[in-house]
Amino acid sequence: MAEPKTKYDRQLRIWGEQGQSALEKASVCLLNCGPTGSETLKNLVLGGIGSITVIDGSKVEVGDLGNNFMLDESCVGESKAKSVCAFLQELNDAVKAKFIEEYPEALIEMNPPFFSQFTLVVATQLGEEKMIKLDRICREANVMLIFARSYGLTGFVRISVKEHTVVESKPDHFLDDLRLNNPWPELRKFAETFDLNVPDPVAHKHTPYVVILIKMSEEWTNSHGGSLPSTREEKREFKELLKSKMVAIDEDNYKEAIEASFKVFAPPGIKLALSKVLQSADSSFFPFSIAIGSDLQQIINDSSVELSSTSSDFWVMVAALKEFIATEGGGEAPLEGSIPDMTSSTERYVNLQKIYQAKAEADCLAIEQRVRNNLKKLGREPESISKATIKSFCRNARKLKVCRYRLLEDEFSNPSVPDIQKYLTDEDYSVAMGFYILLRAVDRFAANYNNYPGEFDGPMDEDISRLKTTAVSVLNDLGCNGSTLTEDLINEMCRFGAAELHAVAAFIGGVASQEVIKVVFLS
Amino acid sequence: MIKLFKVKEKQRENAENANGKTPVKKQSAGELRLHRDISELNLPKTCSITFPNGKDDLMNFEVSIRPDEGYYVGGTFVFTFQVSPIYPHEAPKVKCKTKVYHPNIDLEGNVCLNILREDWKPVLNINTIIYGLFHLFTQPNYEDPLNHEAAAVLRDNPKLFESNVRRAMAGGYVGQTFFIRCI
Amino acid sequence: MADTAPSRSRDLDKLLLRAGNLVGPTFEPGTELRDDLQEYARILVVGAGGLGCELLKDLALSGFKNLEVIDMDRIEVSNLNRQFLFRMEDVGKPKAEVAAKRVMERVSGVNIVPHFCRIEDKDISFYNDFNIIVLGLDSIEARSYINAVACSFLEYETDDKPQEETIKPMVDGGTEGFKGHARVIIPGVTPCFECTIWLFPPQVKFPLCTLAETPRTAAHCIEYAHLIKWDEVHSGKSFDPDDPEHMQWVYSEAVKRAELFGIPGVTYSLTQGVVKNIIPAIASTNAIISAACALETLKIASGCSKTLSNYLTYNGVAGLHIKVTEFVKDKDCLVCGPGVLIELDTSVTLEKFINLLEEHPKLQLAKASVTYRGKNLYMQAPPVLEEMTRSNLSIPLYDLMDKVAKDILHVTGVTGQSDKKTSCLRKLRVVFRGVDGVTDMDMAGGA
Repeated sequence: MAEPKTKYDRQLRIWGEQGQSALEKASVCLLNCGPTGSETLKNLVLGGIGSITVIDGSKVEVGDLGNNFMLDESCVGESKAKSVCAFLQELNDAVKAKFIEEYPEALIEMNPPFFSQFTLVVATQLGEEKMIKLDRICREANVMLIFARSYGLTGFVRISVKEHTVVESKPDHFLDDLRLNNPWPELRKFAETFDLNVPDPVAHKHTPYVVILIKMSEEWTNSHGGSLPSTREEKREFKELLKSKMVAIDEDNYKEAIEASFKVFAPPGIKLALSKVLQSADSSFFPFSIAIGSDLQQIINDSSVELSSTSSDFWVMVAALKEFIATEGGGEAPLEGSIPDMTSSTERYVNLQKIYQAKAEADCLAIEQRVRNNLKKLGREPESISKATIKSFCRNARKLKVCRYRLLEDEFSNPSVPDIQKYLTDEDYSVAMGFYILLRAVDRFAANYNNYPGEFDGPMDEDISRLKTTAVSVLNDLGCNGSTLTEDLINEMCRFGAAELHAVAAFIGGVASQEVIKVVFLS
Repeated sequence: MIKLFKVKEKQRENAENANGKTPVKKQSAGELRLHRDISELNLPKTCSITFPNGKDDLMNFEVSIRPDEGYYVGGTFVFTFQVSPIYPHEAPKVKCKTKVYHPNIDLEGNVCLNILREDWKPVLNINTIIYGLFHLFTQPNYEDPLNHEAAAVLRDNPKLFESNVRRAMAGGYVGQTFFIRCI
Repeated sequence: MADTAPSRSRDLDKLLLRAGNLVGPTFEPGTELRDDLQEYARILVVGAGGLGCELLKDLALSGFKNLEVIDMDRIEVSNLNRQFLFRMEDVGKPKAEVAAKRVMERVSGVNIVPHFCRIEDKDISFYNDFNIIVLGLDSIEARSYINAVACSFLEYETDDKPQEETIKPMVDGGTEGFKGHARVIIPGVTPCFECTIWLFPPQVKFPLCTLAETPRTAAHCIEYAHLIKWDEVHSGKSFDPDDPEHMQWVYSEAVKRAELFGIPGVTYSLTQGVVKNIIPAIASTNAIISAACALETLKIASGCSKTLSNYLTYNGVAGLHIKVTEFVKDKDCLVCGPGVLIELDTSVTLEKFINLLEEHPKLQLAKASVTYRGKNLYMQAPPVLEEMTRSNLSIPLYDLMDKVAKDILHVTGVTGQSDKKTSCLRKLRVVFRGVDGVTDMDMAGGA
């Protein structure tokens, strides 16, 4: 057996040992192992998820062979859960795989406590009524839940997690924290050892841009009554000033300084620096994005920061962070400590790096002490949160995110009508919104007529008109009276006839597994 | 499109043995763009180009530079160019075949020229590179050294640098390193 | 309307046998469509890696029965976290062969022919046998090559409209970590790979003098060992990134250099990452992108739904964002564009032809250099090439073009008035008058 490190190399490069270990500790329960569910688990098993439990009460039919790769001729007539489980086990023997031959609907009705043993439940191809019930069960048991559904050429993935706190998000674009206009004493002292007018051209072109900007921003504020460049004109002027300091046209450090000059313009402190970067998503009804995002200002003012005995480690650390910002931090979050690469001589760069690291470590130590105090006050073991966890928290303090997902029931009974109406008429979103309504309508249809529209062969006219009526009633219940869906969409939905196509299932399953990985890392 | 596929498949079966023409060589987009660069070359008298693999392989060629001023006057320096099929998305790989005592060229022939690596842009061309290389000989600079010793000598003692260059070009030792005559 | 007996295509039948409203213009639902898809559609999957494994499975379960796969690589341990058709005991075997075998074992009735070789090793005509080419690749070079091959089959009518029967559609996927893209390329209709090559960011390359003189990061130390130190120590021996001893050597040199300069962070894993330019890869993203590509392949072949137009990006890094962009093609693209149609007599010499280009109303191209399928027929510069090609000037172009009735050639020259001259590179469709040429269809067949 080769080293797991080599086997998982390509994913360790993304989520590291810590992420991998979270994955290996997770136990996932799958409801229904058609292609959507099977493909979701396949991706998780390959990545080395801890354990899987496959729940399905059906027997394999010939039709299943045409859309599910985990099944072959020899499985026909056998338990689907057993057959799928056997194939999944073949993919990775490090994963504990088991199955239960039982219909998920029965478990939801008869044995709700069953679900509390899992880290996460992936519920596929469930009808609306059962989804709502399961949602409540999992929410109460604090088990994460992801719904996935493939239906013809459409489908959805819906996350339902009480609170999902993100520490190590890796946003594509993030403004690094260099404190260029607000250097702490050691950094200021370091900058003072440089003379920007040094005659030696080699020294001149190897002065790191961080130093150039610290000095120039100080020079600017001194001559502008303490304020930073703020208008367009002033910003342009500041850049011109930088340009005028160049002694040769090929000085990359000055080019970098001009390019990075916007980092000087952002006022110090967490308030404004953040609002630009993190946008809070509040599209709380839409099936593909239900996160209620937060920026740091919102997070430290959240009521969860008032600690109680049940507060999670995350909130204990946020409380410490809040205290830090108000005291030692002087309005700033702890320093990340890393600096981007920049043109510089090695020695200067390494020294600069050390100064940033030392400050980050000092900030982290201050927060650590506050965390330990908070834990003590709560009567908990002061060392119960590891130093590594606190360190990672501090390094990512400005990127923290909290997502709270509504219950499905709430999404359905308390919808945001203006949003729905907006999306229904929006050129880019009307089709997606139409399918959102129709995916609900087909479940209501099935509850009324005992089959899905277009499920059986033969003329579809009756199903089409019934689905149309059902869709209107869904819209009315949402408070969108008078809205209608196009004939094209309704016809398409009937044509789909609840088919589970392999490629669509693989897509939806892929998305579901990716979301599983993301929420598991944060649990 | 399936109807089309059907028609084609039937034809394919019919024409199975009617294969007349030999498979033809394909020209990559990179080769075409290079064809343009090469056909528009406008080299100074001090530079010349040769194609060791003949007229139909433009992707590998050599450029000789004979500086007519500066420290390196009189020497001949040969650079090899290797051009990728995705040129100009990627810069050509250029090496100096002639061992040279130069602050910006190391003894293995690696060249420190910004447009060959970090500053390469698809709008640049072979002509620009050749001019860039030529420039290195008329104005070697000690600020971006690849040959650390040579750079230090150029900075601290230009006279000594000049005589080292002459010695190397004439064929001989500079310090521990032997240079082959290139005059 | 459908079989009542249990059928493997139970779910697919809903899509293929029933009429729909949001479908492609060629859609003709029915059992014949389903059967034709199985019998006549021939699909090539390029690459049997993370995307390729998924693609073969997805296509085999999407109604296709004639698949082929080409890949030059052998299975490595680090593939096993996502290339689900491979097991530990397969390490070292050719990917294409194992992938084909595994899918055929599980999906009865599907035939997959593996090709364990480089894509360049196949004749161009090999690629013309397929109706659709699906790409699961990780390099720009390979995409560019297949794109050029597929576009070379494309022929245009005299009015510059693409001839439908010569169009070779491609579906291309790519992933990096939690992100990916899927696109549909219909040569002559939607932009080809070359029209939008700028979509790929250029690779980051550190200045050599930074590596030699002012290293600051772990990657600088690694690239120093790899690009500079290796040559210095191993004169002549070329570095092989797949040789663990070579990699170990680069790693230990990088460590020494990092220690010398007080730079943290050099690890073996980072060394491999930097030197081999390793792109992180996970199963889920490959599954998503491949599924999107397989679905588009089915849609192109059957018309069962409207195809993606024409570039989808998936980003699961923070939240989930899917975006579809409709790029436009470059009408003057040298690879997929129609070029300028020129009719000639077989007696026209190369010199006469070059003069004609100057008078041609659409071209007005002076001082043309001419290249035909890798042969440089005439070069205006540099002198050494001009001399080597000068003798061609008196030869009829028809002879220089191997006496084909029509073909593509490329010319570079100068256009515009004396005050505003610009250089340009043009594609030409040359047709010789009076040659009893092959028919269009035969040309499409690469005959």
